[in-house]
Amino acid sequence: MADELELFEQGSDAGSDEVLLTPAELIRQLEEAWLNEKFAPDLLESKSEIVECVIEQLSHMEENLQRAKKGDLKVSIHRMEIERIRYVLSSYLRCRLLKIEKFFPHVVEKEKLRAKEDPSDLSPEEFTFAKEYLENTEMYLKNVVLKHMPPNLQSIDLLKSVPLPNLDSFVFLRVKERQENILIEPETDEQREYTVDLEEGSQHLIRYKTIAPLVASGAVQLI
Amino acid sequence: MEPAEVEFLAEKEPVTVVPNFSLDRIYLIGGDLGPFNPGLPMEVPLWLAVNLKQRQKCRIMPPEWMDVEKLEEIREQERREDTFTPMPSPYYMELTKLLLNHASDNIPKADEIRTLVKDIWDTRLSKLRLSADRFVREQEAHAKLDNLTLMEINTTAAFFTESLNHMYKLRTNLQPIEGAQSQEY
Repeated sequence: MADELELFEQGSDAGSDEVLLTPAELIRQLEEAWLNEKFAPDLLESKSEIVECVIEQLSHMEENLQRAKKGDLKVSIHRMEIERIRYVLSSYLRCRLLKIEKFFPHVVEKEKLRAKEDPSDLSPEEFTFAKEYLENTEMYLKNVVLKHMPPNLQSIDLLKSVPLPNLDSFVFLRVKERQENILIEPETDEQREYTVDLEEGSQHLIRYKTIAPLVASGAVQLI
Repeated sequence: MEPAEVEFLAEKEPVTVVPNFSLDRIYLIGGDLGPFNPGLPMEVPLWLAVNLKQRQKCRIMPPEWMDVEKLEEIREQERREDTFTPMPSPYYMELTKLLLNHASDNIPKADEIRTLVKDIWDTRLSKLRLSADRFVREQEAHAKLDNLTLMEINTTAAFFTESLNHMYKLRTNLQPIEGAQSQEY
Protein backbone atom coordinates (compact mmCIF):
# COMPACT_ATOMS: atom_id res chain seq x y z
CA MET A 1 0.00 0.00 0.00
CA ALA A 2 2.77 2.37 0.90
CA ASP A 3 4.36 2.02 -2.50
CA GLU A 4 1.34 3.48 -4.17
CA LEU A 5 1.87 6.73 -2.41
CA GLU A 6 5.40 7.24 -3.49
CA LEU A 7 6.05 10.20 -5.62
CA PHE A 8 9.50 10.08 -7.02
CA GLU A 9 11.44 13.20 -7.72
CA GLN A 10 10.36 13.41 -11.27
CA GLY A 11 11.78 16.20 -13.35
CA SER A 12 8.92 18.45 -14.26
CA ASP A 13 9.17 20.10 -17.60
CA ALA A 14 9.21 23.85 -17.12
CA GLY A 15 8.19 24.63 -20.64
CA SER A 16 10.19 26.22 -23.39
CA ASP A 17 13.56 26.50 -21.64
CA GLU A 18 13.41 22.84 -20.65
CA VAL A 19 14.67 23.43 -17.14
CA LEU A 20 14.34 20.38 -14.96
CA LEU A 21 12.72 21.20 -11.66
CA THR A 22 12.09 19.08 -8.64
CA PRO A 23 8.51 19.31 -7.36
CA ALA A 24 9.80 21.10 -4.25
CA GLU A 25 11.50 23.75 -6.39
CA LEU A 26 8.31 24.08 -8.41
CA ILE A 27 6.25 24.81 -5.31
CA ARG A 28 8.81 27.37 -4.18
CA GLN A 29 8.56 29.16 -7.51
CA LEU A 30 4.78 29.17 -7.28
CA GLU A 31 5.00 30.79 -3.87
CA GLU A 32 7.39 33.44 -5.14
CA ALA A 33 5.12 34.20 -8.08
CA TRP A 34 2.20 34.40 -5.65
CA LEU A 35 3.92 36.95 -3.39
CA ASN A 36 5.15 39.05 -6.30
CA GLU A 37 1.68 39.12 -7.80
CA LYS A 38 0.15 40.06 -4.47
CA PHE A 39 2.40 43.06 -3.94
CA ALA A 40 3.03 44.38 -7.44
CA PRO A 41 0.72 47.21 -8.45
CA ASP A 42 0.40 46.00 -12.05
CA LEU A 43 -0.31 42.64 -13.65
CA LEU A 44 2.87 40.58 -13.95
CA GLU A 45 3.76 38.09 -16.63
CA SER A 46 1.66 34.97 -16.36
CA LYS A 47 3.48 31.94 -14.98
CA SER A 48 1.20 29.51 -16.75
CA GLU A 49 3.92 26.86 -17.05
CA ILE A 50 4.38 26.74 -13.31
CA VAL A 51 0.61 26.69 -12.81
CA GLU A 52 0.20 23.80 -15.24
CA CYS A 53 2.99 21.77 -13.64
CA VAL A 54 1.56 22.32 -10.17
CA ILE A 55 -1.92 21.25 -11.29
CA GLU A 56 -0.36 18.17 -12.84
CA GLN A 57 1.47 17.35 -9.61
CA LEU A 58 -1.71 17.83 -7.59
CA SER A 59 -3.87 15.62 -9.77
CA HIS A 60 -1.16 12.99 -9.88
CA MET A 61 -1.08 12.96 -6.09
CA GLU A 62 -4.89 12.92 -5.89
CA GLU A 63 -4.93 9.86 -8.13
CA ASN A 64 -2.45 8.08 -5.90
CA LEU A 65 -4.50 8.94 -2.86
CA GLN A 66 -7.65 7.53 -4.44
CA ARG A 67 -6.02 4.14 -4.43
CA ALA A 68 -4.73 4.35 -0.87
CA LYS A 69 -6.76 3.08 2.02
CA LYS A 70 -8.85 5.53 4.01
CA GLY A 71 -7.98 6.74 7.48
CA ASP A 72 -4.28 6.20 7.04
CA LEU A 73 -2.11 8.81 8.78
CA LYS A 74 -0.05 9.12 5.64
CA VAL A 75 -3.08 9.92 3.51
CA SER A 76 -4.18 12.70 5.83
CA ILE A 77 -0.70 14.25 5.75
CA HIS A 78 -0.72 14.17 1.96
CA ARG A 79 -4.20 15.69 1.92
CA MET A 80 -3.07 18.54 4.15
CA GLU A 81 -0.17 19.28 1.87
CA ILE A 82 -2.39 19.23 -1.18
CA GLU A 83 -4.78 21.68 0.48
CA ARG A 84 -1.93 24.03 1.29
CA ILE A 85 -0.62 24.01 -2.27
CA ARG A 86 -4.09 24.40 -3.69
CA TYR A 87 -4.64 27.43 -1.49
CA VAL A 88 -1.51 29.16 -2.84
CA LEU A 89 -2.47 28.25 -6.38
CA SER A 90 -6.02 29.58 -6.18
CA SER A 91 -4.95 32.67 -4.29
CA TYR A 92 -2.42 33.38 -7.05
CA LEU A 93 -4.95 32.94 -9.85
CA ARG A 94 -7.61 34.91 -8.01
CA CYS A 95 -5.20 37.75 -7.41
CA ARG A 96 -4.51 37.94 -11.15
CA LEU A 97 -8.20 37.90 -12.01
CA LEU A 98 -8.80 40.77 -9.58
CA LYS A 99 -6.13 42.81 -11.31
CA ILE A 100 -7.55 41.98 -14.74
CA GLU A 101 -10.97 43.16 -13.56
CA LYS A 102 -9.45 46.32 -12.16
CA PHE A 103 -7.43 47.29 -15.23
CA PHE A 104 -9.32 45.43 -17.96
CA PRO A 105 -9.22 47.98 -20.82
CA HIS A 106 -5.48 48.44 -20.38
CA VAL A 107 -4.85 44.74 -20.12
CA VAL A 108 -6.69 44.04 -23.35
CA GLU A 109 -5.08 47.03 -25.08
CA LYS A 110 -1.59 45.90 -24.07
CA GLU A 111 -2.30 42.44 -25.38
CA LYS A 112 -3.48 43.90 -28.71
CA LEU A 113 -0.38 46.06 -29.09
CA ARG A 114 1.99 43.23 -28.21
CA ALA A 115 4.29 42.10 -30.98
CA LYS A 116 3.76 38.49 -32.02
CA GLU A 117 7.13 37.26 -30.81
CA ASP A 118 6.89 38.86 -27.36
CA PRO A 119 5.62 36.62 -24.59
CA SER A 120 2.10 37.41 -23.41
CA ASP A 121 1.36 38.65 -19.90
CA LEU A 122 -1.83 36.62 -19.92
CA SER A 123 -2.54 32.95 -20.14
CA PRO A 124 -5.01 32.08 -22.94
CA GLU A 125 -7.78 31.61 -20.36
CA GLU A 126 -7.03 34.94 -18.74
CA PHE A 127 -7.11 36.64 -22.13
CA THR A 128 -10.53 35.20 -22.88
CA PHE A 129 -11.71 36.36 -19.48
CA ALA A 130 -10.35 39.88 -20.02
CA LYS A 131 -11.92 40.16 -23.47
CA GLU A 132 -15.32 38.97 -22.27
CA TYR A 133 -15.17 41.21 -19.25
CA LEU A 134 -14.48 44.18 -21.53
CA GLU A 135 -17.31 43.29 -23.92
CA ASN A 136 -19.78 42.70 -21.12
CA THR A 137 -18.92 45.93 -19.37
CA GLU A 138 -19.32 47.89 -22.57
CA MET A 139 -22.62 46.20 -23.27
CA TYR A 140 -23.85 46.85 -19.78
CA LEU A 141 -22.94 50.53 -19.79
CA LYS A 142 -24.62 50.91 -23.16
CA ASN A 143 -27.84 49.20 -22.18
CA VAL A 144 -28.21 50.81 -18.82
CA VAL A 145 -27.07 54.37 -19.41
CA LEU A 146 -25.46 55.33 -22.70
CA LYS A 147 -28.32 54.63 -25.06
CA HIS A 148 -30.57 56.92 -23.05
CA MET A 149 -28.11 59.79 -23.36
CA PRO A 150 -28.12 62.53 -26.00
CA PRO A 151 -26.35 61.26 -29.16
CA ASN A 152 -23.20 63.29 -28.58
CA LEU A 153 -22.66 61.64 -25.18
CA GLN A 154 -23.24 58.07 -26.21
CA SER A 155 -19.64 56.97 -26.53
CA ILE A 156 -17.25 56.24 -23.73
CA ASP A 157 -13.53 55.63 -23.87
CA LEU A 158 -12.85 52.97 -21.28
CA LEU A 159 -9.10 53.40 -21.65
CA LYS A 160 -9.47 56.91 -20.29
CA SER A 161 -12.07 56.17 -17.66
CA VAL A 162 -10.42 53.22 -15.93
CA PRO A 163 -7.37 54.19 -13.89
CA LEU A 164 -3.97 52.82 -14.84
CA PRO A 165 -1.99 50.76 -12.34
CA ASN A 166 -0.02 53.11 -10.14
CA LEU A 167 3.57 52.18 -10.92
CA ASP A 168 4.81 54.96 -8.65
CA SER A 169 3.60 53.19 -5.56
CA PHE A 170 6.08 51.98 -2.99
CA VAL A 171 6.84 48.29 -2.50
CA PHE A 172 8.83 46.27 -0.01
CA LEU A 173 11.34 43.83 -1.42
CA ARG A 174 14.10 41.39 -0.55
CA VAL A 175 17.14 41.15 -2.81
CA LYS A 176 17.97 37.73 -4.22
CA GLU A 177 20.82 38.72 -6.54
CA ARG A 178 23.07 41.66 -5.84
CA GLN A 179 22.31 44.73 -7.96
CA GLU A 180 24.46 47.79 -8.43
CA ASN A 181 23.67 51.41 -9.15
CA ILE A 182 19.94 51.54 -8.86
CA LEU A 183 18.99 55.12 -9.62
CA ILE A 184 16.72 56.71 -7.03
CA GLU A 185 14.79 59.68 -8.36
CA PRO A 186 14.34 62.64 -6.04
CA GLU A 187 11.01 63.17 -4.31
CA THR A 188 11.24 66.95 -4.16
CA ASP A 189 12.97 69.61 -6.18
CA GLU A 190 15.52 70.29 -3.45
CA GLN A 191 16.73 66.69 -3.42
CA ARG A 192 19.17 65.19 -5.85
CA GLU A 193 19.00 61.82 -7.49
CA TYR A 194 21.39 59.19 -6.20
CA THR A 195 22.18 55.54 -6.67
CA VAL A 196 22.09 52.64 -4.25
CA ASP A 197 23.49 49.13 -4.41
CA LEU A 198 21.12 46.35 -3.45
CA GLU A 199 23.07 43.77 -1.47
CA GLU A 200 21.98 40.17 -1.55
CA GLY A 201 19.59 39.40 1.29
CA SER A 202 18.93 43.03 2.18
CA GLN A 203 15.42 44.50 2.31
CA HIS A 204 14.23 47.78 0.89
CA LEU A 205 11.29 50.13 0.51
CA ILE A 206 11.34 51.69 -2.92
CA ARG A 207 9.12 52.85 -5.77
CA TYR A 208 7.89 49.94 -7.87
CA LYS A 209 8.76 51.70 -11.13
CA THR A 210 12.45 51.71 -10.20
CA ILE A 211 12.73 47.98 -9.75
CA ALA A 212 9.94 46.57 -11.93
CA PRO A 213 12.39 44.89 -14.37
CA LEU A 214 14.17 43.23 -11.42
CA VAL A 215 10.88 41.71 -10.25
CA ALA A 216 10.29 40.33 -13.73
CA SER A 217 13.80 38.86 -13.94
CA GLY A 218 13.52 37.33 -10.48
CA ALA A 219 16.47 39.26 -9.00
CA VAL A 220 14.30 40.66 -6.23
CA GLN A 221 11.32 39.26 -4.34
CA LEU A 222 8.46 41.51 -3.25
CA ILE A 223 7.44 41.08 0.38
CA MET B 1 -1.20 40.78 3.01
CA GLU B 2 -3.32 39.32 5.77
CA PRO B 3 -1.60 38.27 9.01
CA ALA B 4 -3.12 34.83 8.44
CA GLU B 5 -1.24 34.58 5.17
CA VAL B 6 2.06 35.48 6.82
CA GLU B 7 1.30 32.79 9.37
CA PHE B 8 0.62 30.41 6.51
CA LEU B 9 4.13 31.09 5.20
CA ALA B 10 5.59 30.66 8.67
CA GLU B 11 4.03 27.21 8.86
CA LYS B 12 6.65 26.03 6.39
CA GLU B 13 9.42 26.60 8.92
CA PRO B 14 11.02 23.37 10.13
CA VAL B 15 10.65 22.41 13.78
CA THR B 16 11.82 19.34 15.64
CA VAL B 17 9.27 16.89 16.96
CA VAL B 18 9.58 13.66 18.89
CA PRO B 19 6.93 11.31 17.46
CA ASN B 20 5.31 8.52 19.47
CA PHE B 21 4.39 6.44 16.42
CA SER B 22 6.24 4.85 13.58
CA LEU B 23 5.69 5.53 9.93
CA ASP B 24 7.69 4.93 6.76
CA ARG B 25 9.19 7.71 4.75
CA ILE B 26 6.54 9.86 3.10
CA TYR B 27 7.05 11.50 -0.25
CA LEU B 28 5.35 14.87 -0.17
CA ILE B 29 5.32 17.16 -3.21
CA GLY B 30 7.38 19.67 -1.26
CA GLY B 31 10.02 17.11 -0.24
CA ASP B 32 10.43 13.84 1.62
CA LEU B 33 9.78 13.37 5.32
CA GLY B 34 10.56 10.61 7.76
CA PRO B 35 10.80 7.76 8.48
CA PHE B 36 9.21 8.36 11.86
CA ASN B 37 10.28 6.26 14.81
CA PRO B 38 8.94 6.57 18.35
CA GLY B 39 11.28 8.64 20.49
CA LEU B 40 13.58 9.76 17.68
CA PRO B 41 13.63 13.53 17.05
CA MET B 42 12.61 14.51 13.50
CA GLU B 43 12.44 17.73 11.58
CA VAL B 44 9.04 18.48 10.04
CA PRO B 45 7.32 21.64 8.81
CA LEU B 46 5.40 23.50 11.48
CA TRP B 47 1.98 22.81 9.94
CA LEU B 48 2.57 19.10 10.32
CA ALA B 49 4.05 19.46 13.79
CA VAL B 50 1.00 21.34 15.03
CA ASN B 51 -1.33 18.82 13.46
CA LEU B 52 0.50 15.84 14.96
CA LYS B 53 0.52 17.58 18.29
CA GLN B 54 -3.24 18.15 18.11
CA ARG B 55 -3.70 14.44 17.54
CA GLN B 56 -1.35 13.80 20.45
CA LYS B 57 1.07 11.95 18.23
CA CYS B 58 4.19 13.89 19.10
CA ARG B 59 6.01 16.20 21.45
CA ILE B 60 7.35 19.44 19.95
CA MET B 61 10.86 20.52 20.89
CA PRO B 62 10.98 24.32 21.15
CA PRO B 63 13.52 25.98 18.84
CA GLU B 64 16.86 26.70 20.44
CA TRP B 65 16.20 30.42 20.78
CA MET B 66 12.89 29.93 22.57
CA ASP B 67 14.59 30.17 25.89
CA VAL B 68 14.19 32.77 28.63
CA GLU B 69 17.89 33.65 28.90
CA LYS B 70 18.45 33.96 25.17
CA LEU B 71 15.33 36.03 24.69
CA GLU B 72 16.26 38.35 27.56
CA GLU B 73 19.56 38.97 25.85
CA ILE B 74 17.84 39.69 22.55
CA ARG B 75 15.41 42.03 24.29
CA GLU B 76 18.23 43.99 25.93
CA GLN B 77 20.08 44.29 22.65
CA GLU B 78 16.94 45.39 20.85
CA ARG B 79 16.38 48.10 23.46
CA ARG B 80 20.02 49.23 23.44
CA GLU B 81 20.36 49.73 19.70
CA ASP B 82 18.59 52.22 17.51
CA THR B 83 18.48 49.95 14.50
CA PHE B 84 16.69 46.64 14.10
CA THR B 85 18.78 43.77 15.42
CA PRO B 86 18.75 40.41 13.64
CA MET B 87 16.08 38.06 14.97
CA PRO B 88 16.75 34.39 15.65
CA SER B 89 14.05 33.40 13.18
CA PRO B 90 12.39 35.37 10.37
CA TYR B 91 9.08 34.15 11.76
CA TYR B 92 9.82 34.50 15.48
CA MET B 93 6.43 36.01 16.33
CA GLU B 94 4.36 33.48 14.40
CA LEU B 95 6.39 30.54 15.72
CA THR B 96 6.03 31.75 19.28
CA LYS B 97 2.32 32.23 18.91
CA LEU B 98 1.63 28.91 17.23
CA LEU B 99 3.87 26.88 19.49
CA LEU B 100 2.62 28.50 22.67
CA ASN B 101 -1.00 28.09 21.63
CA HIS B 102 -0.72 24.46 20.62
CA ALA B 103 2.18 23.04 22.54
CA SER B 104 2.66 25.16 25.66
CA ASP B 105 3.03 21.97 27.71
CA ASN B 106 6.21 21.16 25.75
CA ILE B 107 7.79 24.56 26.31
CA PRO B 108 9.36 25.37 29.65
CA LYS B 109 8.41 28.77 31.12
CA ALA B 110 5.86 29.41 28.39
CA ASP B 111 4.40 32.50 30.07
CA GLU B 112 7.74 34.21 30.49
CA ILE B 113 8.57 33.51 26.86
CA ARG B 114 5.27 34.96 25.75
CA THR B 115 5.98 38.20 27.64
CA LEU B 116 9.56 38.45 26.40
CA VAL B 117 8.63 37.97 22.76
CA LYS B 118 5.83 40.51 23.16
CA ASP B 119 8.36 42.98 24.64
CA ILE B 120 10.73 42.46 21.72
CA TRP B 121 7.87 42.85 19.27
CA ASP B 122 6.68 46.10 20.90
CA THR B 123 10.18 47.57 20.94
CA ARG B 124 10.64 46.80 17.28
CA LEU B 125 7.26 48.14 16.24
CA SER B 126 7.87 51.43 18.01
CA LYS B 127 11.16 51.69 16.10
CA LEU B 128 9.28 50.93 12.92
CA ARG B 129 6.77 53.69 13.62
CA LEU B 130 9.57 56.16 14.35
CA SER B 131 11.39 55.38 11.14
CA ALA B 132 8.18 55.52 9.11
CA ASP B 133 7.56 58.95 10.56
CA ARG B 134 11.06 60.08 9.61
CA PHE B 135 10.72 58.59 6.14
CA VAL B 136 7.61 60.67 5.53
CA ARG B 137 8.92 63.87 7.05
CA GLU B 138 12.13 63.81 5.06
CA GLN B 139 10.33 62.72 1.91
CA GLU B 140 12.76 59.94 1.25
CA ALA B 141 12.59 57.88 -1.91
CA HIS B 142 14.31 54.79 -0.61
CA ALA B 143 14.73 53.03 2.72
CA LYS B 144 16.71 50.01 3.79
CA LEU B 145 14.86 47.67 6.11
CA ASP B 146 17.25 44.92 6.99
CA ASN B 147 16.30 42.46 9.73
CA LEU B 148 12.63 43.38 9.67
CA THR B 149 10.46 40.31 9.52
CA LEU B 150 7.58 39.79 7.11
CA MET B 151 4.99 40.01 9.88
CA GLU B 152 6.43 43.31 11.12
CA ILE B 153 6.45 44.79 7.64
CA ASN B 154 2.91 43.65 7.07
CA THR B 155 1.54 45.33 10.17
CA THR B 156 1.97 48.67 8.45
CA ALA B 157 2.73 47.94 4.79
CA ALA B 158 -0.72 48.35 3.26
CA PHE B 159 -1.58 51.47 5.24
CA PHE B 160 1.87 52.98 4.80
CA THR B 161 2.22 52.53 1.04
CA GLU B 162 -1.35 53.72 0.54
CA SER B 163 -0.64 56.91 2.51
CA LEU B 164 2.58 57.51 0.58
CA ASN B 165 0.62 57.23 -2.64
CA HIS B 166 -1.95 59.75 -1.44
CA MET B 167 0.70 62.18 -0.31
CA TYR B 168 2.49 61.80 -3.60
CA LYS B 169 -0.70 62.55 -5.48
CA LEU B 170 -1.41 65.62 -3.39
CA ARG B 171 2.13 66.87 -3.79
CA THR B 172 2.37 66.37 -7.55
CA ASN B 173 -1.03 68.00 -8.08
CA LEU B 174 0.21 71.11 -6.27
CA GLN B 175 2.67 71.69 -9.08
CA PRO B 176 0.31 71.82 -12.06
CA ILE B 177 1.24 69.43 -14.84
CA GLU B 178 0.81 70.54 -18.41
CA GLY B 179 -2.56 69.54 -19.80
CA ALA B 180 -3.60 68.30 -16.34
CA GLN B 181 -4.56 64.87 -17.63
CA SER B 182 -6.02 63.70 -14.39
CA GLN B 183 -8.70 66.37 -14.52
CA GLU B 184 -10.21 65.07 -17.71
CA TYR B 185 -12.63 62.62 -16.15
